[in-house]
Amino acid sequence: MALTAEIYQAFEDVVGKKNISQDKGVLESYRCITSQSSAHYGPYDHKTPLPQAVVLPGSTEEVQKIIKLCNKYKIQFKASTTFWSAMGFIGSENAIQLDMRRMKGIEIDEKNMIAVVEPYAIGAVVQVEAMKVGLNCNIPGVGCSSSVVASTAGWVGFGPTSISMGVAGENMLGAEWVLPDGEVLRTGSLGAGAGWFNGEGPGPSTRSVLRGFQGTTGTMGVCTKVAIRLHPWPGPTTIPTRGQTPAYKASLPDNFKCYTLCYPSWEAWAKGAALLHEAEIVYLGHRQFNMFGRDIKAAMLRILNDPNGQLADLETLLQDPELKKQNELMKMDIQVVLAGMTARDIAYKEKVLDRILELCGGWKSEMMLEKDMQDYVLLYLLRLGHKNLNYTLCGSYEGNYGLSSNVFVATAVIEEASELKDKWAKTHTTIADTGGDSDMGSLSILGGGGAMGWEFFVNFDAYDKASIQGTNDFIDETQKWMFAKGLGVDMGRWNQDIRRKDGLNFTQEEHDAMYVNAAQPLVFAYQWKVREAVNPNHLGGSYYRTLTPSKIGLA
Amino acid sequence: MALQDFRPMQERCSNCLNCRWVPFDKLKSDRFGENCPSIAYNNFMTYSARGRFQLGQTILDGDADYSETVVDVVHSCTACGSCDVTCKVCRYNLEPLEHNIELKVDAVEKGKTLPAQAGIMAALKQEQTMIPGSKKAQRLDWAKGIQVKDLFKDKAEVAFYPGCKYSYDPKLQKVAQAALKLLIDAGADVGIMGNADACCGGRALQMGFRAEFTERAEANIKAFNTAGVKVIVTPCSDCYHALKRQYAKLGLAIEVLHTVEYLDRLIEEGKLKFTKPVNMTVTYHDPCHLGRLGEPFVPWEGTEKKIMNQVHTWSPKRPRYNGAYGIYDAPRNVLAAIPGLRLVEMDRIREYAWCCGAGGGCSQTLPEYSAWTASERITEANTTGAEAMVTACPWCEANFMGAVDEHGKSIQVFDIIELVQQAL
Repeated sequence: MALTAEIYQAFEDVVGKKNISQDKGVLESYRCITSQSSAHYGPYDHKTPLPQAVVLPGSTEEVQKIIKLCNKYKIQFKASTTFWSAMGFIGSENAIQLDMRRMKGIEIDEKNMIAVVEPYAIGAVVQVEAMKVGLNCNIPGVGCSSSVVASTAGWVGFGPTSISMGVAGENMLGAEWVLPDGEVLRTGSLGAGAGWFNGEGPGPSTRSVLRGFQGTTGTMGVCTKVAIRLHPWPGPTTIPTRGQTPAYKASLPDNFKCYTLCYPSWEAWAKGAALLHEAEIVYLGHRQFNMFGRDIKAAMLRILNDPNGQLADLETLLQDPELKKQNELMKMDIQVVLAGMTARDIAYKEKVLDRILELCGGWKSEMMLEKDMQDYVLLYLLRLGHKNLNYTLCGSYEGNYGLSSNVFVATAVIEEASELKDKWAKTHTTIADTGGDSDMGSLSILGGGGAMGWEFFVNFDAYDKASIQGTNDFIDETQKWMFAKGLGVDMGRWNQDIRRKDGLNFTQEEHDAMYVNAAQPLVFAYQWKVREAVNPNHLGGSYYRTLTPSKIGLA
Repeated sequence: MALQDFRPMQERCSNCLNCRWVPFDKLKSDRFGENCPSIAYNNFMTYSARGRFQLGQTILDGDADYSETVVDVVHSCTACGSCDVTCKVCRYNLEPLEHNIELKVDAVEKGKTLPAQAGIMAALKQEQTMIPGSKKAQRLDWAKGIQVKDLFKDKAEVAFYPGCKYSYDPKLQKVAQAALKLLIDAGADVGIMGNADACCGGRALQMGFRAEFTERAEANIKAFNTAGVKVIVTPCSDCYHALKRQYAKLGLAIEVLHTVEYLDRLIEEGKLKFTKPVNMTVTYHDPCHLGRLGEPFVPWEGTEKKIMNQVHTWSPKRPRYNGAYGIYDAPRNVLAAIPGLRLVEMDRIREYAWCCGAGGGCSQTLPEYSAWTASERITEANTTGAEAMVTACPWCEANFMGAVDEHGKSIQVFDIIELVQQAL
C-alpha cells in the first residue's frame, strides 16, 4: 500500500527529497525473510511487511515531526538502526520504516565518564572514541556492530564486560525520547536541565517505562539521544593490532591477560564463577567459542586463526588427536580477561585467579595460552567485532534453551541439555552436529546475583527449508524439556508471541487471548496502561506486550 | 554464473550489516570507520551489500524492477570490494562483490544502464578504449620519443602495458613514460604492444558489461600470447586486476606484475638505487584493484558439500579471496627505500582502504558521487598531516587531483613512479 501523494509530500517536507523513498526496490530492501537469522521469527516463505516508505530523519526535530505526522495520518512506524534480524523491521502493512542512519553523533564527556550517543553510533565507534580518552563502554552480546542506543534503550544487553560494567540497561543515564505521540521527553537529570549524568532524576524517572529489564524493542517512540556510562580503560588510546585478515590479533601491553579457564566439572565451574565474582578481578568474562559446539571449538579456533582457513578444513582438523585432546580439556570452560590498572594490580589479579583455579581444581587451557591465540581472543572479546561469527557455520543460528539463570541452577542442567541436543543432531540432519554442548554467554552481571545470559547455539541453513523447519521442531522439543524442568519459556520462543507466521504483528485481540492466561497477566495489563498513556494511537507495533485490563476484570 | 545462481547467497546473508564498516578489529576512529562509499553517500540500506542481496532476491522474484533509483543503486557500487573483505572476516560462503557485479550484469543485459555508460561502451567498441573522445590512432602517442621495442613487430620478455588512462590522459602520460624508462634503464628486455595495444576491458566488467569485457580479454590474451612475452608489467591497478585475476580465469598464463612489484624486486636485487633525497611526508592510498583485489586467481573446480549435517562448504576446498594477500607491502617497500621520504598512514589502509571513487566506472558515470568519495579520502589524508598523497593507479590519481577535502583543502597527489623518478 503506497502513501498518498499528500502524505508522502508531508514527510518529504520534513526530511527533504534525498531522505525519503517509496521506490519499490528500496522498500523491498527493507524487508527480511522472517527466518533469515533466527528460525523462530517465522517460516521460510514469509518476509516482514513492505513499508509504505523509508524515511531517514537527521535530527530530533525531524523525528518529532515525522511521528506527529504518523499520528495525524494513523500510520505505524518503527525506527531501526542496524536492522539485525526480523525484529528490526516493521510488523504492519500500514507502517513506515525510519532508518536512523543519519543520526550518528557521539559526544564523550571524559570528566564525567559519559558518552551521549545518537542512534547510529554503534558499539565499535563509541568504544574507539572512548578509548582515546582512557575509557571504554559495555558492548553487549549483540556485538559492536549494533547501535548503542538500541542496545541501551531497547533490549536486554548482556555482554562479556557486563561483569565489570553491567548490562546495557544498567549503563543508561539521561535520554532524549520522542514519545509515540510526538512529544519530546527528556528523562532523568536531563529533564531538570542538569545534564546527562543520571537516568533516574532529578527530572522524570522513566527507566521502567522506557526500557524496564528487557527494553521495549523500538515500539515506544524513538530515543534520539541516550547517555551511557563509560568505564576505565587501562590500555592504549587505540588497540594495536597485527595479523592478516581475518585472523587479527591485539598487541596489548602486559597489563592485559586473556585466559581460557577450564574445570573438571560443572560444580567446580560454578564455584569458580562465584569466586571470580566475589574477588572482583575480572574485566571481562564470557564463554565464547563453545558457541561452535564442544566437539569442534578447537578446530574452529585454528581455522579462524589461519588466513587460509576454511570450513572445509573441519573434516581434517576434527581427526587431529591433539585438537580432540584440547576439546576435552576445554569441555567446561570460560574465557576471561584481566586488566590491571597498574603492574601491582595485574600481579594481584593473576595471583587471585591462580588461587581460584587451585581451589576449584581448574586450569588454564594450554592451547589458548599460545601467544597468537591469546591475542586473537583478547581482541575478539574486547571489541566483539565478530558478531557474524554467529553465522559462520551455517548462515543462521537460533539461540535456544536460554539457560539464563543463576550459575548453580543453569550449570546443573547443561549436560542433560547437551545430550538432548546431541541426540537430536545425530538422529535428525536438520541442525549442525557439533557435539551437543554449544552453550555460550556472559559470565555474569554487575553486582553478582549469579545471573548468566547464556544460550545454546543451534546452527541451521537459512537456505534449506527442511533445516529451518527442523530447527523449529527442535525448539519444540527443548521447550517441552524446559517446561518439564521448570525452566520456563525457551529462549527460542521468547518472541514467538510478537510476530505471526505471516510476518505481521499480532493484533490486540490475539494478544489478549494469549496473555489472559499468562502467569502474571497484571504485567501485561500494566503495560497496556503505559501504552495508552504515551502511545494512544497504537503506532508502535506489538513487540510491546499488552493485555486489555478488562479481560482480567480491571478497569 | 547468472543472478539466479546467487539465490542461496542472498538468503544466507545474515543481515549483520558489517558490510558497511571497516573490519571492526581495525577501526581507529568514528570519522573514518565506514568502508562502502555507496551507502555512505546515499544512506539507504539498499546501497549496501546487504541491501543488494535483498534487492537481487526481489528482482529474481519479480517484486521490483529496474526503476531509475534501482539502476542508480546497482551501478553506484564502485566494485571496490571493501564489503567483500569485511563480510569474509566471519563468513566463508558469501561473495558480496561477485553478487554486486552480477546484479550489474543482469541490469545491463536488460538494458538498464546509466546514461553515460553508452558513450563509454561505444568508445570501447569503436576505439578500443573506455575514455570517450580518445582515438585508437593516438593510443601510442605517450611513447613518442622513447626507444622501445614494438611487440607487434619485435620480441621481448616483458610487455609494458600502460592502460587507457596513462595512455591518453595528458596529465598522466608522464607517469607511463617514466615507468617505461625505469624498466629500460634497469635493463629489462621490454616492449610495448604497438598496434595490438588496446583497453583491458576491466572497467567494462566492473560496470556489468561482461560480454564486452570478455571480447576484449580474449583479443588481448591472443595478442599477448602472439607476442610471446613472459611477463606483463602495468602501472595501472585496474589493468592489473583485469589481467591478473580476470584474464587468468579466461586462460592467460603469463605472469602479471604491477610496476611497484617490479620496482620492489629491482630494489631488493640491488638493481635500483636511489641517490637523491625526497624530503617529504606522504601518505599512501592503496588502490582497491592492486590491494584487496590484487590477489592472484587460483583455478578451482568442485562442488558444494554439506558436512556435519548443515555446514555448507565446497569439495575440494575453494580458493578464498578476502584481501589477505593483496599487494600492500611492495609499494610501501619502494617508498621506504626512498631517502628522506616519510610515510604516515591513514586510518583506512591495506585491505580496508577507502575507495578513491573512480571504481565501477563511477568517475565517468556518477561524477558527483565519485568526487564526494575522493573528497572523503582527501580529508582522511589531510588528517595525517602528510604533504602529499601517493598512489599507484591512474584512476585514483586522476580522481584525487581535482578533489578537495571537507574544508576545501586539496593535497598534492603523486604516482609512486614520480617519487621514484625524483629519487634517481
